[in-house]
Amino acid sequence: MSNSASSSPRLPSASNTPKPKAKAPKSEKPAKQAPKNAGPGKAAKVNNASKGGAASSSSTPAAKKISPLFAHLEEREYPATTAQAPSGVHPCVRSLGLQFAELKICGSTARCLAMLNAFKQVIEDYQTPSQTTLCRHLPTYLSIQISYLVSMRPMAVTMGNAIRFLKYHISILDIDLPESDAKGQLIEKIDEFIRDRITAADRLIVQYGLQKIQDGDVVLTYACSSIVKTLLIAAHQAGIQFRVIVIDSRPLLEGLKLLRDLATAGLACTYAYINSISSTMKEATKVFLGTHAVLANGALFSRAGTALVAMTAHRRNIPVIVFSEIYKFTERVQLDSVVMNELGDPHDLAAHKDGSPIDPAASLTNWKSVNNLNLLTLMYDVTPTEYLSMAITEVGMIPFTSVPVVLREYRL
Amino acid sequence: MAHEEFSIYQSYQEFLQSDPDMSMPVAAVQSLVEFIRQSQASTMSEFVVMVRDAAQVLKSSARNSVSLAAGCDLFMQAVTRMADANVEECRQNLINRGTKFVEKAASCRESIAELGEPFIRDDSTILVHSYSRVVMTLLLRAAAHNRRFRVYVTEARPINSGYRTAAQLRQAGIPCTVVLDCAVGYIMEEVDFVLVGAEGVVENGGLINQIGSYQISIVAKAARKPFYAVAESYKFVRLFPLNQFDLPTHTAQILSFDSPQSVASPSPSLSDTNSMELDGAALDLAKTNPEVDYTPPSFITLLFTDLGVLTPSGVSDELIKLYY
Repeated sequence: MSNSASSSPRLPSASNTPKPKAKAPKSEKPAKQAPKNAGPGKAAKVNNASKGGAASSSSTPAAKKISPLFAHLEEREYPATTAQAPSGVHPCVRSLGLQFAELKICGSTARCLAMLNAFKQVIEDYQTPSQTTLCRHLPTYLSIQISYLVSMRPMAVTMGNAIRFLKYHISILDIDLPESDAKGQLIEKIDEFIRDRITAADRLIVQYGLQKIQDGDVVLTYACSSIVKTLLIAAHQAGIQFRVIVIDSRPLLEGLKLLRDLATAGLACTYAYINSISSTMKEATKVFLGTHAVLANGALFSRAGTALVAMTAHRRNIPVIVFSEIYKFTERVQLDSVVMNELGDPHDLAAHKDGSPIDPAASLTNWKSVNNLNLLTLMYDVTPTEYLSMAITEVGMIPFTSVPVVLREYRL
Repeated sequence: MAHEEFSIYQSYQEFLQSDPDMSMPVAAVQSLVEFIRQSQASTMSEFVVMVRDAAQVLKSSARNSVSLAAGCDLFMQAVTRMADANVEECRQNLINRGTKFVEKAASCRESIAELGEPFIRDDSTILVHSYSRVVMTLLLRAAAHNRRFRVYVTEARPINSGYRTAAQLRQAGIPCTVVLDCAVGYIMEEVDFVLVGAEGVVENGGLINQIGSYQISIVAKAARKPFYAVAESYKFVRLFPLNQFDLPTHTAQILSFDSPQSVASPSPSLSDTNSMELDGAALDLAKTNPEVDYTPPSFITLLFTDLGVLTPSGVSDELIKLYY
C-alpha cells in the first residue's frame, strides 16, 4: 500500500528535471510510449496528464478501486450473491460458496473440511449421465462445483491438495465398477483423507506440541489457528502453568474467537492488537503460529500480519513454532506477498460490519467516489523462513529447511 | 519380568568400560542386544513393551543421556519396523542387526576421517574443543598422511579433557597448544577453522556437545571462520531443542541462584563425567553447571559424518529418511 501511495506523488515532484523524467515513464508504463517523438518536456507533460487520467478514467470508478501494485489481484463483488452460479452447481456447494465469500467459514482447515463434506454430498447425489462413465464424467461435474467455489473466494492450498487427492482417486477407479460401489469408495476415500490428514494429524501435532510448552511459558499467538487453540487448551488441561498473549488485527478480528474459547477453557490470556507487538513481544517466551500454507522454500503463506509477528519474535530471539498438517505443504514458491495474494473486502476499512462508519467524522464513508483514494485489505502475507524456528507436523518436529524433503517423501 | 536379574544400565557401563573407544550410542545398542538375548517374551507386544521399558530405564539412569538416547532411538526404530514378525524371528533379526551395527560402528570414525581429511590443508591452524575420539581419529589420520598443521585445543574446564587431546597430539608429533576456554576470542583470528565432536546431532542439524562449543561457534561466526562438527551418524538424535533451556539435560539446579546462606547444596553424582583431576572449587562448579550445550545450525558450517559431508539442513534430510 505504501509503495503505491509513494509512487504517484513522485511524478509531479520530478517535473523540473525533464531529462530523467522522460525516461521514467517510459520504463514504468510502456503502453504510453506514443508521444515519444515530442520534446522530452512535452512528453513528460502528456504522460503526466494521461497518467492522472488513467487513475480515474481507465476504469469505471466502482470497479477498479485498487492501487496499481495490487491491480493484478482479483476483485470481488460485495455483498456476495449466488445469483451468477451456473445451473449445474449442487445446492450444498452453492450455500457453501456463499459462506466462503462472507467468511462465515474461514481458515484453511475449516474450508477444506467443509468442502470435502459438501463433496461427499455431491458424490452421493450424483448420477452418471447415460453414454458416459463415472470416472470420465464425475471430474468435469466436480470441476463445475470447484470453479464456482473459486469464483466465490480464491481456493485455499488445502482445498487444492484435497481436490488433487480426490481427482486422483476418481481416475484410478475401475471402469467396470457399479456406480453405487464407486461412489461408496470415493466417499470412503474422502473420509480417509479427513481422518489421516486432518483429524489424526492434529492429534499427533498436539502431542508433539505439548513437549514444547513448559511451566512459566508465555505463549504469544496471532489471529486464530484451530490447531494452536486445541494445543493450548490441551496444555492447560494437562496442568501446565502458562499464559497466552493473543495478538489480533483489524479488520477480521479473528483473535476474538480464539480469545473467547481460551478464556472459556480457563486459560490466562492477554489480548492486544498487532500495533503493540513490539512491546507485547517482550513478555513472550515462545510464539505459536498456525498457517494457511507452507511453501516449498520454507516460507509461510499465512494470515496478513504473521510476517510482522514472526519478524518481531526473531529480532528478540524468541523461538517461532509453526503448527501445520503436511497437507498444507505446497510445491509453490513465493518470495513476496505481492505476486499472489487475496483481496479482502475494502469496505471493512471504512465501516463496521453493521454499516456504521469506523471514524466518527466519517471521512471514509464516500471513499468510492473520491478519485484518488484506494482502500486495500490483503488477506495473506509471506513469512520468510529465517524468522521461523520449527515446524511441528504429524511427521514430527522439523526445521523449515526440510519442507522440500517432506514434500518429496510424503506426496499426497 | 524376565530381566530382573539383568541390569541394563550395568551392562551398558560394562560395555563402555571394556572398550575405551566405544561411544555411548554403540554401548546402548549393545546392551539392548544383550537385553533381548536374555529376555523371554512370548508375544510380540510384550516384547516391544519390554524393550521400550529397558530403553527408558537406560535413558533415565544416565545423567547425560543425549547421545545414549540416540542409540536407544535407533534400536527402537528397528523394533517398531519389525512389529509384524513373530517374536523369535524378530529377536534373532534384532540380535543380528545390532551386532552388525556395533561392528560397523567401529569403522565409522575411519570413514569420517577419510572424508574430512581434505579439509585439513598444509599449514593450517585448527582450534579443537575438549576431547573427541572422532576428531582425534581425523587429526591423527591427517598427520599420518604427512599433513603439517598446528592445533589449539581448549582446556575444557572443569573436566580438563583438553590436556588429554594435547598429550595424544604431541605424541603424534602435531604441534599443539592448550588455551584457556576464555582465550578463544583471542586466538580466533589465528585460527583457520574450528573442529568439534558431538554428543548428539539434533533434528535441525544443530549440535549438542561438551559445554563451550556454542560460544566457540559464536566467536567463529563473528570472526568468519568455518565451524566444522564431526559426528558419527548414529549420533543423530530425534530431538529438536529450541534453545539451551529446552535441552533434556537441563535441570532446575543448573545455574540456579542459591542464597548466600545455603552454600552446601545436594550433589548430583559426577560418576558419568570421564573426570580428570577435579579440584574442590571445580567440583562445586561442575555440580551447578551444564555439561553440554546446544549449537544452533546457523552457526555450523558443515558436519563431517559417515554419510558424507553435510550441511546442517542435510542432516535433517537424513533424519527424515532414517525415521519415516
